[in-house]
Amino acid sequence: MRLSEVTERVSAATARVPRSVYAVGGLVIAIIFPLLNMAGWVETAWLRVGVISLLFVMLSLGLNIVMGETGLLNLGYIAFFAFGAYTTALLSSPKFELRWPFLVVVVLSALIAMVAGFVIGLPTLRLRGDYLAIVTLAFGEIVRLTITNLQDFTNGPNGITGIYSPRLVGEGALESLGSTGPAAWLVIDKPVEYYYLVLVCVAVTAVLISNLKNSRIGRAWNALREDELAAVSAGITASRAKLLSVVLSAGIAGFAGSLFAYYSNVISPESFLFMQSVIVVCMVVLGGMGSIPGVILGAIVLQALPQVIRQAAGAARSEFEVYRMLIFGIIIVVMVIFRPEGLLPDTLWRREAHEVDPREQEKTRQSLFDLEEGEKDLEV
Amino acid sequence: MSLDHIVSVTIGGLTVGMIYALIALGYTMVYGVLKFINFAHGEVFTIGGYVAAFTLLTLGVNDGMSALAVAGCLLAAVVASVLVPMAIGFLVERIAYRPLRGRARIIPLLSAIGVSIVMQQSIILVFGSKPVTIPTLALSSASIVVGGIRIRVLALIIIVVSAVLMAGLTYLVKSTRIGKAMRATSQDMEAAEMMGIDTNKTIAFTFIVGSALAGIGGFLVIMYYGSLKFDAGFLYGLKAFTAAVLGGIGNIPGAVVGALVLGMTETYGVSVDLGFLAWFVVAGLVLGLYVQMVRIPRRRLQHIAEDRRTPEYERNLLNVYRLTPYHGVKTLLAERTDALLSVSAEHAVRLMAGNIFLAVVAAVMFVNANVRIDTRWQPVIAFVVLMVILMFRPSGILGEAITEKV
Amino acid sequence: MVHERTRTFLALSLVIVLALGMFGVTGCAAETDGETDGETTGEVEIIKVGVQTALTGPLPDYGAAAKNGIELAVEDFGTFEMDGTTYQVELVVLDDKAEPAESAVVAQTMVDEGVVGVIGSLTTGATLSAIPIYAENRIPQISGSVTGPAANADGVDTFYRTCWNDAVQGEALAVWAMELGAEKVVLMDDNGAYAVGLADVAEDTLQAEGVETLRQNCQSGDKDFSAQVANVKEFGPDAIIFTGYHPEAGLMRKQMVEAGLGDVIFMGGDGIKSAELVAQTGGEANAEGIYATFGGFPEEQQPGYAAFSAKYEETYGEAVGPYAQNNYDAFGALIAAIKQAGSLDTEAIIEALQTVEYEGVTGTFSFATAADGPVARGDVVVAGLTPANVPRYVVEGGEFVSVK
Repeated sequence: MRLSEVTERVSAATARVPRSVYAVGGLVIAIIFPLLNMAGWVETAWLRVGVISLLFVMLSLGLNIVMGETGLLNLGYIAFFAFGAYTTALLSSPKFELRWPFLVVVVLSALIAMVAGFVIGLPTLRLRGDYLAIVTLAFGEIVRLTITNLQDFTNGPNGITGIYSPRLVGEGALESLGSTGPAAWLVIDKPVEYYYLVLVCVAVTAVLISNLKNSRIGRAWNALREDELAAVSAGITASRAKLLSVVLSAGIAGFAGSLFAYYSNVISPESFLFMQSVIVVCMVVLGGMGSIPGVILGAIVLQALPQVIRQAAGAARSEFEVYRMLIFGIIIVVMVIFRPEGLLPDTLWRREAHEVDPREQEKTRQSLFDLEEGEKDLEV
Repeated sequence: MSLDHIVSVTIGGLTVGMIYALIALGYTMVYGVLKFINFAHGEVFTIGGYVAAFTLLTLGVNDGMSALAVAGCLLAAVVASVLVPMAIGFLVERIAYRPLRGRARIIPLLSAIGVSIVMQQSIILVFGSKPVTIPTLALSSASIVVGGIRIRVLALIIIVVSAVLMAGLTYLVKSTRIGKAMRATSQDMEAAEMMGIDTNKTIAFTFIVGSALAGIGGFLVIMYYGSLKFDAGFLYGLKAFTAAVLGGIGNIPGAVVGALVLGMTETYGVSVDLGFLAWFVVAGLVLGLYVQMVRIPRRRLQHIAEDRRTPEYERNLLNVYRLTPYHGVKTLLAERTDALLSVSAEHAVRLMAGNIFLAVVAAVMFVNANVRIDTRWQPVIAFVVLMVILMFRPSGILGEAITEKV
Repeated sequence: MVHERTRTFLALSLVIVLALGMFGVTGCAAETDGETDGETTGEVEIIKVGVQTALTGPLPDYGAAAKNGIELAVEDFGTFEMDGTTYQVELVVLDDKAEPAESAVVAQTMVDEGVVGVIGSLTTGATLSAIPIYAENRIPQISGSVTGPAANADGVDTFYRTCWNDAVQGEALAVWAMELGAEKVVLMDDNGAYAVGLADVAEDTLQAEGVETLRQNCQSGDKDFSAQVANVKEFGPDAIIFTGYHPEAGLMRKQMVEAGLGDVIFMGGDGIKSAELVAQTGGEANAEGIYATFGGFPEEQQPGYAAFSAKYEETYGEAVGPYAQNNYDAFGALIAAIKQAGSLDTEAIIEALQTVEYEGVTGTFSFATAADGPVARGDVVVAGLTPANVPRYVVEGGEFVSVK
């Protein structure tokens, strides 16, 4: 039997296993992981790797909504992450001597990122795909440079330090409970506590997204991705559906950004470079656009694997770092050419990924805007 | 603000613009033929610069050598910085872009981003992550003084080279056989193939020429500034793309115009007072009002069938666009009677909103006439220009003249 | 066209090969780790000291120099006797890529590894996220190159440094400019933490003395400064203080000379005091007369520098890299503190660091126990060296020479 047949059979066999089995299995592994640390088998640094990986899982899940479901490329996605992180940092740090309740801060961070998504999405979503990608890239860079420049507000390149640990209940309630025993878990400040907090958030996000995916709006997104013209003819309001997907994905990034700020205590503009956006894009491409398990796998592989190597490779470690970004680049090119549907593909995408869109080919003198025909000559 | 200051700012802006133009030409050409944003173009430019620097350093060029030897070294550097990018452009197109032809637009763009990362990291692997520096030559520091203003000879050379390349490319695209094939491929790949054009060859040729242009850009930049860093291509590439879009992507003279405008905007933005900049906004406002009140109604009228183009209708349309209070409102209310007028009314309101915005901006600038934008904001300018132009006029200043009219 | 199945196969096998390759590396490394895990070998007890640096990222040359300096120090002080037991230091070198997020993981790894102290990290930005982790786990941290004033604004007792706080240099640059008779001064930073911090202090000092200032900025990696040069020319300053690093400083100087501003005094902090600056200004003529300050004794006045530099060059075959001797001293001071504490308990070591007086390459120094003017808690206090007599250099004949 040839190897390709083996892979075919394996994927056919795995396809028969219900998705929920994977979900539950993955969750169980994720829940058990810190216990290994408590038992002393796994070092605490791995918990920190786990937290960062989970944050990137969240980012990838969010980006997947626009990139995988709706088919829009966002190259400035990390900007929404920055919105969330900075909102949290400003509302819960000595910078302005504020310490707003955790839940309020997280929700506000997500909301502000959503507002940013709305503001940037509204005027740009009618642009065609590649232009939209570049506009989002410009947006991401503008956000980062603005954060750096508004020094009175954000401390500029120094970043904001001393972000407080999240408290799940108010101060009064905390004191009445005492600071030991189970009450200590109400103040999140140890890696394992952060791990579980972020894990819960990731699980909620994943469930939310997978429900959305199969809802009316999810199908509208997919329809828009596959054939916008047909989708619009079928009665989908393209602008509204697209805007919703951008706003939602921005909200998830803001949510993740808030957790990131709490977790890392310190944030500075260097965490929001263009390369970070590219890395998240790479995670989605590797895992499989539009596939939730795929995206989760992609994020974990790309975030945790370099750490595995770094922690374990000893002397070879610094040489490996040079190759890390190189490998990221190669992964994008190779995946896009040979397996555009990703490692764990979504069934719909799989069909779509390999077919050549005939309309793309004939669209040589296509309009710049996806305006209705009558409006075209209105352009100066 | 003295005249002296304005003159030196202008010269600085034009020079920067010319450098952007060199890179923008390659961008716009590839886009013109393939409708594909070659994200890795900036990296090809960096490679060109590094290869030139490497050649010069290997040959040990310095002012102690005879003029002929220096010229020989420079020639070798030019040749190397053209040939290596050409080879890379050819290979990249073959490996990373050709298999993706015809897929949804974002797929090749993704591949290009991957290629750009690979190239950037390869530069680090081959040349290291420190900036490469070349020794200063008499040629690169020479300057001439015209009317008390000092201009570097290299700046003039860059201007001449850009102009020659622009003319050459225009000739290539408009008047040669391969240019015709390029235009045909750009218009309709399938039809071009049926006409016996080898589109694969044509596209490969486009990439080779585009990469050669980037290589020349790299050479001139390393000569002009004396050093280059591995990640320079990212920003230069984006700025060149901005320039290309600004001038009208696919439009060869447009790339140069856009690059000059961008270079000037970047320099003027942070080195002249708002009171001076405001006049540019006022000029934009005047242009905007002219477009709204004269040009668009005139153009609309041409599209209306003869029998409907009564003098009254004409007046109505003009009034709609001029937002004349009585007639304008009346027409707006009567929108159900005439679809065109109602669409026009909406359009006019949108245009007016833009013009009012410009007026407010100009007023704010005049109020703060003595304020100057901090140089901290300079890097933001190009991105803002890029966003604004893509959002409001993606066809650019000169229009997206994608090698039209075969 | 490749068949779809074949492509799928190719992609999968590539991923498998990559994964196997990676785990292969992991496997080998895990084995070597296993060998050294034994805590004692004979009578020699192994103790672990962390080195948190940035071997990759924006400043790989700085990271390599720091690592070299520490390795030399390990050769000299890495084996010592205490209470009849011989201890041998084993370094745990981890790369934080100068990224804050990576730095937190690295710091936690150090904690997990059970190090008695950490030398590092390299940059201020990355150190900020490591400091709370070390402070919470009570691990002493001595950096040889973190010069940012932000580093221990909180004044924790676990952070120490053997290099000077930028605030000191910023003040010194301003004072020097005024001594040179400058009445109008341009301050230019590269929008990075180091440069902004330095320029802010210098600007405040100058403005307090009534000197007219103009602030300009660029971005790290910028090539063209025509806007800034035009602004500087219009302002007509006597001096410009460029607080960024040498690649941009060189280009700025070059473009200023080309614009006829060669007479403006060009000054900078230790970020521009590099041998590469001269080439980056486009040649000796352009670089002549550039002033730079440095955080610490000038090298020729550092008591142990001659011996250190000879050894460094012999071992690594290159000139001493930036901050190598400060890192060497950081390690030496840590060992001195361990000996003074007489135990490997980190709490005792932290206590000892507050009183230790160490005779190092860069001079005899101790650490400040409280903030004092520009000096923060944990900052190095070198005997005979005060903020008022910061070392000064000038480029003469293509090289930085010390100014008396």
